This record gives sequence, structure tokens and C-alpha cells, in this order.
Amino acid sequence: MDFEVTYTEEQQRFRREVRAWLEANVGPSILRTPTSVEDNYQRYLELRGLGRKLGAKGWLYATAPAKYGGGGLDVDHAIILEEEVDRFDLSLPPYYDSGGRLGSASILVWGTEEQRQAFLPPIYRGEVRTWQLLTEPGAGSDLAGVRMTTAVRDGDHYVIKGQKIFVGSDNGTDRIWMIVNTDPKGKRHENLSWFMIDASLPGITIHPMELMGTGGEGGTDSGVKQTVFFDDVRVPAFCLVGGENKGWTVATTHLELEHGGGGRIGRNRVWDRLLRYCQETKRDGVPLSQQQDVRDSLADIYIKAEVQRLFGVRNFYLTYARKPKSYEGPQLSYYRKTTGLWMTGAILEAVGPAALTTDSAWGSQAGFLETQQRNGIVSVHPGGTTDIQRVQMARRIGIGRSTKEKAGTVHGAE
Amino acid sequence: MDLALTESQEMLRTTARSFMEREAPVDVVVGLQKAESSLDPNLWAKAARLGWLGIVLPTEYGGSGDSLSDAAVLYEELGRGPLPGPFFSSGVLGALTVLEAGTEEQRRRILPGIATGERVLTVAITEPNTSWGPHGITLTPQSENGSLVLNGTKLFVSDATSATDLIVAVRTGDGPTDVSLLHVDAKARGVSTRRLPGFLSWQCEVAFDNVRVPVSAVLGEAQRGWAAFSRALERALPLLCSYMVGGCQAVYDKSVLYTQTRVQFGVPIGRFQRVQDHVVKLVNHLDSARWTTWEALWKLDTGRPATASVHMAKAVASEAYLEACNAAHEVHAGMGVLVEYGLPAHTQMSRTLFHYLGDPRWHKRRMADALEW
Repeated sequence: MDFEVTYTEEQQRFRREVRAWLEANVGPSILRTPTSVEDNYQRYLELRGLGRKLGAKGWLYATAPAKYGGGGLDVDHAIILEEEVDRFDLSLPPYYDSGGRLGSASILVWGTEEQRQAFLPPIYRGEVRTWQLLTEPGAGSDLAGVRMTTAVRDGDHYVIKGQKIFVGSDNGTDRIWMIVNTDPKGKRHENLSWFMIDASLPGITIHPMELMGTGGEGGTDSGVKQTVFFDDVRVPAFCLVGGENKGWTVATTHLELEHGGGGRIGRNRVWDRLLRYCQETKRDGVPLSQQQDVRDSLADIYIKAEVQRLFGVRNFYLTYARKPKSYEGPQLSYYRKTTGLWMTGAILEAVGPAALTTDSAWGSQAGFLETQQRNGIVSVHPGGTTDIQRVQMARRIGIGRSTKEKAGTVHGAE
Repeated sequence: MDLALTESQEMLRTTARSFMEREAPVDVVVGLQKAESSLDPNLWAKAARLGWLGIVLPTEYGGSGDSLSDAAVLYEELGRGPLPGPFFSSGVLGALTVLEAGTEEQRRRILPGIATGERVLTVAITEPNTSWGPHGITLTPQSENGSLVLNGTKLFVSDATSATDLIVAVRTGDGPTDVSLLHVDAKARGVSTRRLPGFLSWQCEVAFDNVRVPVSAVLGEAQRGWAAFSRALERALPLLCSYMVGGCQAVYDKSVLYTQTRVQFGVPIGRFQRVQDHVVKLVNHLDSARWTTWEALWKLDTGRPATASVHMAKAVASEAYLEACNAAHEVHAGMGVLVEYGLPAHTQMSRTLFHYLGDPRWHKRRMADALEW
């Protein structure tokens, strides 16, 4: 076995190129913590600007096919990009783009050639950002139970009405990637359809939800979620992806990626900062990291973070070596979520109430521990609850149902 | 990056698995449980012929010179039994300790016999204080007429009742690591070994009553014993972890099959989410142990600093095996505690290996030290 990504000379050359470019194009201003709503929006615009510049170089969606505006790069190069962007505590894309990431993967697998040409280039070039819309007030874990939001065919158009919740981030969106019910009387799993639509269409209203914290399945997240209302929104029939009432099949690609199937190589940012905090913070004149009870807690936290990293490395390997997967995607998701939740208690125990305050004098740097206290809890639900992940695992292990369930395909997504 | 086994590792796995199916099915493993000695002469001879007893030894000492990762494939399969016997005690920990600590003459004298199976080693560290650190070693030899005389007790010594040779850690100075390793004939006058009774697998008491050994019984240099043993242990522990990974795998396979075939309330019990939760917990422990172990092996085989990884793997695998067995018992209920079903052999082994060579808390603390927090 070989756990290390070994870098070829070409990769090293590419790393130098990427690093130099990022150092020239990612200024300290873009990395600031926003001080106001207006400042947050300004920063968002800067991140979008960075996204377009990355997109122009093919670095925003590096492994996406070049013929649709992606980078057309292989995984070896994509890894370098991810590692280099990570040095700036950024991800690719450098802003919340859930619908772009997951929608584009689905369109690559299930869209027509015309749809690929129409929808993919703006995503890959960073010209648009896309939110995904899945959850409804009556359909959360039971995604197949979507029925409040419907689309009815009317000539060359569909008319969408209904409501989606827990959507997106702040600062609005250009596109919407959504699942709707197209046959209210149809059979379960045979009554859903996916649409990729313009977010500025008449009849769409976006209203913020206030949440306890942020929590996502990856990507840059702002912690803001929205309710989106659809009031007889007319969308071209061309926007239907994968065929009418074929939405559940399309969803297998989407959900596999969202449930951790893709894998990840990267460091744990919370861990790095937690250790530094414990080394720099003294209590009774002794650094926290030198106190036995704190060390014991840190060891438990570190090991969980390491196991999570290794599960991510394994899934990354399985994905890119194109090896068969079974329960590994939802396992990573389950482990990450339960570890994050458990960690809130473990960190609180190790650090004490300083973990709860954002105060610049008495809290951690930029309140990162306070953020973890919230986000570790919020992250339990996005992309499927911990219980849903366990259900998925059981089905794929082959004990949940009479027939073993297979992992969704994500290979078209490269 | 490549997380697959190599072709030759796949072949070794196939050989080892069919050996286990043929020679050590559940009834054999269960049948061995009550024996005073863990060594079954028939199995031992066959394993020697397959080259498994010297798998980590260099060819110059009669071994097969395989990497630790190669050996790990074998130990996973042995752990699936769990096959008793001093495979690890002699073929890994004993062999590597002599390799690290011994003089060239001692290596040439002792090691080839390990590979052929004629010599069976075990390393005696712990004493009634049950510490796995050097400070716990209090057994102090007295010098008498050019000999060393031992009086005292070593406890929880694995497989001592089947050993021909003991490597005994003794205190020879006041410094914390002033420890020497003595090579003692297990059949020498005054040495008595007995398997400790109870819920533990071939952990033994070794008593020394005026046992006389020559000064030349010191392996390598006096006072350097602990450092040498630590180097050996760092390479040995991941293979003990592999054995536990194999144990977790077997317990997982049994549990999955049972949930698919055991029918209650008119359906296989795997349809019940409460039951599924046990299996999910089990597989998470299994994979935690598997990947921390493999990463440690890879670091050792490629010459990377591995100390922290090894401690982590032992902590994780020990916990995983114990918890995997717990989850399996929740799945199996009554069937799981039937001795003939084979789960209890794993459960007992999981408890034994939980503390053997250091429990999880011990290794987590050593890991934190190694990471220089």
C-alpha cells in the first residue's frame, strides 16, 4: 500500500505555477473576516471575482471536461490545486456553490448533450453560482417524499409552484438546481424530476432563515439558509434534466457525492487550531497542552480526526482508482457528523467555557472554537442525517433490505 | 497512492485463508481454548513449512525477509480464527527483540530456530504491578560467582507455557530505563510457567526461583535492553493490530450473516434498525482499526517516522476489537455466548489483547508524547 500521493516533476512544476498565481491573486483582503453585512457582501463579490479568474484558467472545476468549460485536468493536478487553495483556508469553488458542484455532476451523467453545453460552461467558468433545492417542510430525510413543490407541463414550459427550505447561503444565487414532484398521483420514486433554472425568473421569492450555526457537506458555507417560494414560475421544458419522473435515478449520483462518496484529502482545520490554542493558552501558568486531563482529551480528539482523515483518503482512493464502493460513502459522512457532534463536548471539556465565547479577550482566535460548538451540532443534518447515513450503510452492507443496494455512480462527474 | 494489496500479498492472503479454513476452522479453534499450551504441534509444523514463523526475519537468519505489510496480510488471516499459538509472541515480538537487542553471535544462535519453529520465544515484561513501561520492571538479578540469579515473578506473559526460550526484562540500574534483557531457557531449573485461569487467552505467570543464568545470557549490551525492546515493539505492534483487525473482520462477517439469516417477528433481524446500528458500529470500529494499522505499517516499511502512528494503531485496534465483540454480542444475543459458535474465543481474545503490551490509554499518552504536544 502507498498512502502518499507522490508528486511527479510535472506536478511539482504545476504546484509552483499554482502557488505563484494564488499568491498574486488571493490578497489579504479576500481572507478577512467580514465586519458587517455590507462587508460580507463585498467579500462575497471578491470571492466570485476570484472564482471567475480561477474558472478562466480551468482551475475552478479542474477535473470537469474541457469541452464544457472545465479544466480538463487529471486528478493529479486537481489534488495540487486543492492542496494549494487549502493553504489559504479556501476551497474550490471559493464560495458556496452546492448546486454547481452536485448539479453539474448530475448533468454530466444524466443530461443531454444540448443541456451539457448550455448549463455546464457558466458553472465551470464561475460565471454563475448555483444553489441546490431539495428539502421541503414535509420532506427532509424522506427526500423521495417531495410533493409540496410541483411542476406541471404547459406547452414548451413547466409551471413550478411550492416551497423549498434550508436552501443555499447568503448573498443570493444565479441558478437553482432543484427536485420537484411531476406526478402527484404517481408511484413513489417514479414521480420526481430535476430542473436547472434561472434564479431570477418571475415568481421566485427568497426569504432568509435564522439558524443556530452553519454546517455543510463541504465547500465554503456562510451559515445562512433560505426559504424559497415558487409562485407559478414558468421555466422552459429544456431545463428538465434526466427525463420527467426520472428524478430518483438522477438523485443517486447527487446523493452519492453528497454522502461523502467522493472522499477528501486534507487536514482538519479545527484540529490544527485547537492544538495551537491549547499550546498557547496557559491556565495556572501551565499550557493546557501540558495538563494531563487536557492531553487525554486532545488524544481522543486527534484520533477521531485521524480516523476521519483516513476514511476520506480511502474514499478518495476508491473513487479515483475506480474501485467498487459499498458503504464507504455514507460511512465517512456518518463518522464526520457524529465526530463533529461528539467533539463539541470533548472540546468544551478540554478547553472550558472559553470555547463558548467569541470575545476577543477571553475567547479563541476569531471565535473559531465557538463556531465549532455551533457547527458541530448543525452539521448533523445537511446532506442526510446521521440516521439516514446509517440506513444507507445497512442497505449497502446488505442487511437493510432483501436486495443489497449499490453505491451511486459518480464517475461521469469527473 | 495505492491502497490495494500487491499481487504477492493477494496470493499470501489466499494461501493463508485456505490454510485457516482447512486446518483451523471454528471447531479446532474452540477445541484449543482449554489447552494449557496455545501451541498445536501439527499446526505449528505446517506454519513453519510455509515460512510463516520467520516471516519478519531477514533471510540471513533463516527468515523470509518479508516486509511488515506482507506479514500483516498473514496476521489478519490468523486473527480471523482467532488462531491461538505463539505466532506473534515468538515469530514477531520475540524475533524482533533478539534482532534488535542481540549481538551478532546471539542472533545467529537464536533466530534460525524461531523460523524453523524449534525455538519458541516469548518476551516477559510485566510484573504484578501490570505496568508496560520500564519503570514497572523491578525484577533484579543478583550476581553470584559470575552468574546471575533470578527470583521473582513475571505476569501476563503471552504463550509462556509453550515457550522454549524466555526473554526476560530485568532491572540492572537505578535509572528509569536501566533495563537489560536476559535470554533464559524456559525449561531451566527454577523456572515455572502456568497459564492464568479465567477470561484471558494464554496469558501466563512465569515464576523464577533461584534461576541461575550466565552473564552471557544478557542480550547485547546491558542497560540498553529497553531501547532495543522499544525499537522491536514499534515494529511488532502493528502486526498485533493486524491480528486484531482480522478478529474484527471475522466478528463482522459473523454478525452480518447472522442478521441476514436469523428470523424473528417474521423477518431477518437485519431489517430492524436497532440491530443495524450494532452492525454499523462494528464496521466503523473495524475500518478504524484497519486503516490506522495499515498507515502505520506503510510508514514503517517506507522508513517514515512512525512512532505516533504505531501508538495510535494499537490504541484504536484494541478498542475496536473489544467494541466489535460487544456489538456482535448484541446482535447475536444467546447464540453469541454458545462456546461452540466461536464468538466467545474472539471476545476473550479481545479482552486479552486490550491490555497486552499496553492498553489504549497508555498508548494514547505515548502518542501524545511522540507528537510533541
